[in-house]
Amino acid sequence: MEAVLSIKNLTKHFGRIKAVNNLSLEVKPGQVFGMLGPNGSGKTTTLGMLMGVVNPTAGEFAWFGEPPTHHIRKKIGAVLEHPIFYPYLSGQKNLELNAMIKQCPEANIPKVLELVELYERKDDKYRTYSLGMKQRLAIASALLNDPTVLILDEPTNGLDPMGIAEIRELIKKIAANGKTIILASHLLDEVQKVCTHFAVLKRGNLVHVGPVNEVGRGEETVEVAASVENLNEILLAFAGTSSISRENGSYQVAMREGFHSVDLNKFLFEKGVVASHLITKKKTLEKQFLEILAGS
Amino acid sequence: MLHLLKIDLKKMTSYRTFWVIGGLYFITLGLGAASGMEFLKWIARTFEDFGQKININRIPLYHFPDVWMNLIWCAGLLKIVLGVLIVISITNEYTYRTVRQNIIDGLSRQQFLLSKIITNALLSLVSVVMIFVIGLVTGMIYSPSLEIKQMLTDLEFFPAYFLELFYFLSFALMLGILIQRAGLTIILLLLFPAIEAIIAAKVDNYLPEIIPFFPMRSIWYLIPWPFPRYAFQEIQDYLKLSSIAIVLGWTLLFNYASYLKLKKADI
Repeated sequence: MEAVLSIKNLTKHFGRIKAVNNLSLEVKPGQVFGMLGPNGSGKTTTLGMLMGVVNPTAGEFAWFGEPPTHHIRKKIGAVLEHPIFYPYLSGQKNLELNAMIKQCPEANIPKVLELVELYERKDDKYRTYSLGMKQRLAIASALLNDPTVLILDEPTNGLDPMGIAEIRELIKKIAANGKTIILASHLLDEVQKVCTHFAVLKRGNLVHVGPVNEVGRGEETVEVAASVENLNEILLAFAGTSSISRENGSYQVAMREGFHSVDLNKFLFEKGVVASHLITKKKTLEKQFLEILAGS
Repeated sequence: MLHLLKIDLKKMTSYRTFWVIGGLYFITLGLGAASGMEFLKWIARTFEDFGQKININRIPLYHFPDVWMNLIWCAGLLKIVLGVLIVISITNEYTYRTVRQNIIDGLSRQQFLLSKIITNALLSLVSVVMIFVIGLVTGMIYSPSLEIKQMLTDLEFFPAYFLELFYFLSFALMLGILIQRAGLTIILLLLFPAIEAIIAAKVDNYLPEIIPFFPMRSIWYLIPWPFPRYAFQEIQDYLKLSSIAIVLGWTLLFNYASYLKLKKADI
């Protein structure tokens, strides 16, 4: 399958600062691609280059296998950093203007306004909107031309928990329609909930790229509690234990590769111990992310 | 082209400041142009206070063909208002960061600039038409006889007036793109003629021949001050090719500088 986006050795220097350094990656159709990284890791600069507002120092990228032009940008819906609109225009008029720029029919406007639930407020001036409404209008504008690719940069920044949940549902809804989404965020929970793939940037360097569902694989940690005095000795005797630690009255057992909680449970049972509490803990994206950042 | 003009007009026509400044400009232009006779009467009264009598009917301010150049020269003084309007239009795009979003949404940087330049041309054209209509009406009212030959004389100053406005709006646009802040740009736009005049006064002592090349001065040579002719002085009542070339040169240079800045900048 042809890549929606392929980036080769993309580099951007601001004076001595290397904002993005030799970045190469590919996004395939239908992926919900998360770009992770601490603040200032080069996410927005990268997206800025992809959308033609930041001139790359070196390297190249291609959308749908073609070198970038402003015509291609019309088919990509993008919200970078914060929503940007003319404050003195109404939501409706702002979208009319966007439709003119994207050269798409104005008939799409009611549809996207309905989708983001702003139809009732469409004739109010943009400057009267709340932050959540502004974010939603930005998403409406990005969807206006029925794009095949959607770029969202921190779409839930500054929103309250309800707003975050709304936007997350919206992203899921859009992803379900088969659109490719590139989502930059530092909210790991958000990425784990909606993304299929993710990349991690650190100070402009790509330090990891892979599917999200692989995050849970690898070594497990099992939390065990049992009313036995020498539980720690028994646990240490288990061949699959790599290390144990005690936390809040239960033991955290880090397992060796190839061993699972089933094996531990069986072992305890054979030893005549019945666990009163046994939880398999998979690695969260957050944990993996911190490991990746620490390891690079 | 028309598409780009529509985009920029859409931004401007819903902006109240645009109508306020634009409205003031055209009202002042209209009223100013129509009140020349009142001005003459005031001069006559002032002179009378000094015991001198002048017959204002012998000053053919509104007679064809004088009316054309008189109006055009006076209207040129008001171009600063249109300049401020353009500065606000372009610096708004930077303050609101909408220039960035326009490009993300699919305008090329050249198209963005072109939409602004075409608007400049349109505003210049509207002013030209306005002055032509005012000149035609007042000329018909005040001219003792309506001869076609008289009416058609000096009409070449209209293209020159268009060039004057378009040149100045290009300058305002360039300043806006380079500075990006409304206040600072407007101050510079207002001060620039004064700064240039001071420099010109210095240069006059050493290299007077380069003064016609100064950007603001070049307009003086394109459309000269017409009123000395009523004091029986010769004025240049034709267009000088060299002046046209200089003003045209500056216009191209201003727009090219805008283009270069916009092309190279990270927006």
